[in-house]
Amino acid sequence: MSLRSLAISVLARPCSWFRAVLQRNRLEAEMEAELAHHVESLTADLIRAGQLPAQAARNARISLGAAMVHKEEMRASLGLRWWDELWADLRYGVRILRKSPGFTFIAATSLALAIGANTTIFSVAKQLLYERLDVPNAANLRLLAWTGTRDHVAVHHVWGDWDRLPGGRVTSTAFSYPAFQQLRAQNQVLDDLFAFKRMTMIATIREDGQTVRAEMVSGNYFGALGVLPQLGRVIEPVDDAVPGQGAVAVIGDGMWERVFARSPAVLGQTLKLNDIPFTIVGVAPKGFSGARDVQIADDLFIPLSMQPLVFPRSGSASLFVDSTRWWVNVMGRARAAGNDTTARAALDSQLAAIVRSTMPVRKGEDLPRIDLRDGSRGIFEEQKQYARPMAVLTTLVGLVLLLACANIANLMLARGAQREREMSVRLALGAGRVRILRQMLVESLLLAALGGAGGVVIGYFGRNAIPKMTENAWERTDFHIHFDWKVFTFTAGITILTGLLFGLAPAWAATRAELNHGPNEMSLAATRRRKGAGGKLLVGIQIALSTLLVIGAGLFLRTLVSLSSVEIGFKPDHLLLGEIDPPRNRYPAGKDIALNQRLEQAFAAVPGVESVSPAMDAYVSGNLDATDFLSEGEKLGALKHQEEDYNLVGNQFFSTLKIPILAGRAFGPQDTANSPRVAVINESLARTRFHGQNPIGKRFVTDPHDADGSGVLLGRNSIEIVGICGDTRYVDMRSEPPPQFFLPYVQQPSVSGMIYEIRTAMEAEAIVPGLREVVRQVDPDLALLHIRTQNQQVTADLQQESTFVTLTSGFGLLALLLASVGIYGIMAYSVAIRRNEIGIRLALGAQPGQVRSMILRESTALAGVGIVAGLTAALALTRLVKSMLYGIQPYDPVTLTVGVFTLLAVALAASWIPARRAAAVQPMDALRHD
Amino acid sequence: MAQEKPDKQLGLLQGTLDLLILKAVSLGPLHGYGVLLRIQQISSDELVIQQGSLYPALYRLEHQGAIVSEWGESDNNRRAKYYKLTRAGRDRLGSETKKWNRMAGVIGAILSATTEEA
Repeated sequence: MSLRSLAISVLARPCSWFRAVLQRNRLEAEMEAELAHHVESLTADLIRAGQLPAQAARNARISLGAAMVHKEEMRASLGLRWWDELWADLRYGVRILRKSPGFTFIAATSLALAIGANTTIFSVAKQLLYERLDVPNAANLRLLAWTGTRDHVAVHHVWGDWDRLPGGRVTSTAFSYPAFQQLRAQNQVLDDLFAFKRMTMIATIREDGQTVRAEMVSGNYFGALGVLPQLGRVIEPVDDAVPGQGAVAVIGDGMWERVFARSPAVLGQTLKLNDIPFTIVGVAPKGFSGARDVQIADDLFIPLSMQPLVFPRSGSASLFVDSTRWWVNVMGRARAAGNDTTARAALDSQLAAIVRSTMPVRKGEDLPRIDLRDGSRGIFEEQKQYARPMAVLTTLVGLVLLLACANIANLMLARGAQREREMSVRLALGAGRVRILRQMLVESLLLAALGGAGGVVIGYFGRNAIPKMTENAWERTDFHIHFDWKVFTFTAGITILTGLLFGLAPAWAATRAELNHGPNEMSLAATRRRKGAGGKLLVGIQIALSTLLVIGAGLFLRTLVSLSSVEIGFKPDHLLLGEIDPPRNRYPAGKDIALNQRLEQAFAAVPGVESVSPAMDAYVSGNLDATDFLSEGEKLGALKHQEEDYNLVGNQFFSTLKIPILAGRAFGPQDTANSPRVAVINESLARTRFHGQNPIGKRFVTDPHDADGSGVLLGRNSIEIVGICGDTRYVDMRSEPPPQFFLPYVQQPSVSGMIYEIRTAMEAEAIVPGLREVVRQVDPDLALLHIRTQNQQVTADLQQESTFVTLTSGFGLLALLLASVGIYGIMAYSVAIRRNEIGIRLALGAQPGQVRSMILRESTALAGVGIVAGLTAALALTRLVKSMLYGIQPYDPVTLTVGVFTLLAVALAASWIPARRAAAVQPMDALRHD
Repeated sequence: MAQEKPDKQLGLLQGTLDLLILKAVSLGPLHGYGVLLRIQQISSDELVIQQGSLYPALYRLEHQGAIVSEWGESDNNRRAKYYKLTRAGRDRLGSETKKWNRMAGVIGAILSATTEEA
């Protein structure tokens, strides 16, 4: 056979099949015409041979045979048979589903809810955890990180991410600029290394100030990422060459759209970042979110060389030469022929040498070790934040789907018992088992498709519900989940899977229908034993799954309750927060202190303000500042934990937040820039660092800089402790109140932007205009940013937990609903099928009450088995979420007890109607029934 | 295949029928009835083809790409569907004819040998 004819014969069948399917009417007409032509020709020949026309026609038809049979075989020749049968199955399936709309509605709705919930969770998980940076070959990006021993690593000042690892180690992706430059110069294992650092800045565009996310990038950033501008040019190495020069900016697509309405005239325009003018030279391509983050895009990019101007650091070495401050993120690309292990080893020995030669390494300190991470998702903060919750949600939502499947399988099994007659007839008439199996599967897939269609709709509209639940009122988020073909494929796949899952059992049961007993009698005993057992098993599984889901939801609910009721340490009610971020070039060290003093006084004078105090950090806002705390005579030792959390506050801070002073005094008007330096420490600090001695009157010193390098400058003179205050939560609601000390901001050389905490009985809306006006009067270029109440701040901190509670409770409720439908179904079926038996019992003198409790006892026993199974599973599984719980143990007795009783109550309630129906059976009717 | 006796005959006939149809069509385009007539004519009416199995065979061959069909005018000015051999069909006719001849030769040899020895 030649190649060409081989190709023809391979392609011929599918082509001919599609032609036949697509032009079915034409095909049928042609078959008809062809056979008619045959009969006509044959008739004509017979007449020519001397037969009478009528007889000839008859003989011609006889010799051809039954046209219908031929046509069927002709169709079979074209491979149309399974297609036709499938159509028949589909039509039949639709008819069956339409005949019982109640069943169809319940089944399709519960499936739609389950598939929709799965689609939603999958969309969110996929985007949060699996999406990669939109740059060419994202897969070979590598993010440099390091690990070290906690408290012993030579790196002391990290400005960036810093996470604990198991085994007393810590990890960070921040490097010092000198380390980056030397690594880059020595690097031979990765393609060019590039650096970036995201900062929040105030951008002033046409007199309008707004907070933006700006990425300071090394000159080779865009080149190494392979990102080309959609307009203008990107940042080039020459822009980044000289510190303090290169005032150019590349804006992101989002900002171009939002602020410049995609006008090409944006090139050459000027914008101010922290009051420094920049010229816009280009627009980054759509979809490019920066190397740092996939979800949250950078608004604009500027050269790293501009850092000293945009973030001036008063009185200390430039970040470009300071090897002790670790702050920039570094990435590179893996070489095609390279290997991560050798690359890591090479970079590791280089970094060790760099650290040894450029920064002090005290005795007992260890060197940071390089860790080469996958950089295709940027720094990938989402992983530590969402990986576990998403895993839990995916599991729970998967269980809900399983439950819905069990439910429908159960409903179909019960219905299958009614259709046993039909199946027996079909088997008796010669239908093959495979054919019946297929028809049952087509029916369940049809039902699954209904559910899947509903699921797509729910998934489409529900996909942004979860991001919405996690955003807060005062910050702009442009996080949207998109709906794409992968999500659609997932939903389609899950639909087919569910169809098979809940369709197989009934289909199997259907083909097991015996030929002989179906048509002539209902054979109650036989069917009850078999089907009843299958159904009860399914209901047992449902109850077990619901128990698991209800207990899970209960644990998260109790966690949220314990978190919301923790002793926060101050009075969050009637407390308003607003931030001021003065540009540092106009408010250098000293002037910024004066500005805050002026603002503090002006705010205090606004009608309705009871008291006011600025603070460096608002509590429960996710922010934290810490610095060395050395009591008099104490030296910095390598092996000791000497860093403590602190806050810079105004003199009214304690009275404004209503933090109790336990000993000594709070700050007051006597504490000024010129008075002796003072501090208040909290109870925990007094306990952990002064060991029962009275700390009041004791002195300590701090490191002039706080650990995050934000530009705050503390005094160098020693500080006297004048008071002890109560403990408060600091970074979030979950962490225990840390040891903490407080310094008056007026006694420090420099502070960065402050958050004003304003106690007022008035509504936020009523008082905010007055506050804004005050800021305008002090400096028209300043704005009060991120205004929220302290309670909103607390709610925001608990948002992930409350989202979790909303979702898991939703799943739990859905599970209960499905389980109760299941219990009701199986008990109603059991009662219907046992009418006879119940009738006899009643006729023999059983009381209706006895019959009722017999049915209730049965359902309780069934529920009991399911609950025990669910409880066992829950005890095994909840240990895995221990780290997500707060204030309770995974085996929390309250949750377990409530869960068990809820399930029992639901089981009893669901079987109440069937039990009453059983008690109301009239013996004579029941006995006459069969 | 464990089928009933008539099916066995049909199965035997089927392969042969395909070959005969291919041969008939190879001599020029024909409609279904024409195929029937030509086979009967060539075989001098010795071979009678079951008319019912003709059309499924034609459809099968067309489905497999061995022949193609086209509607045209027949001798009695009626519209009829004409079948024509494709290149793939010609290849198949060649190889099947060879196979058939070999098979016929082998079976003939076996049958004659048996007679001689008996």
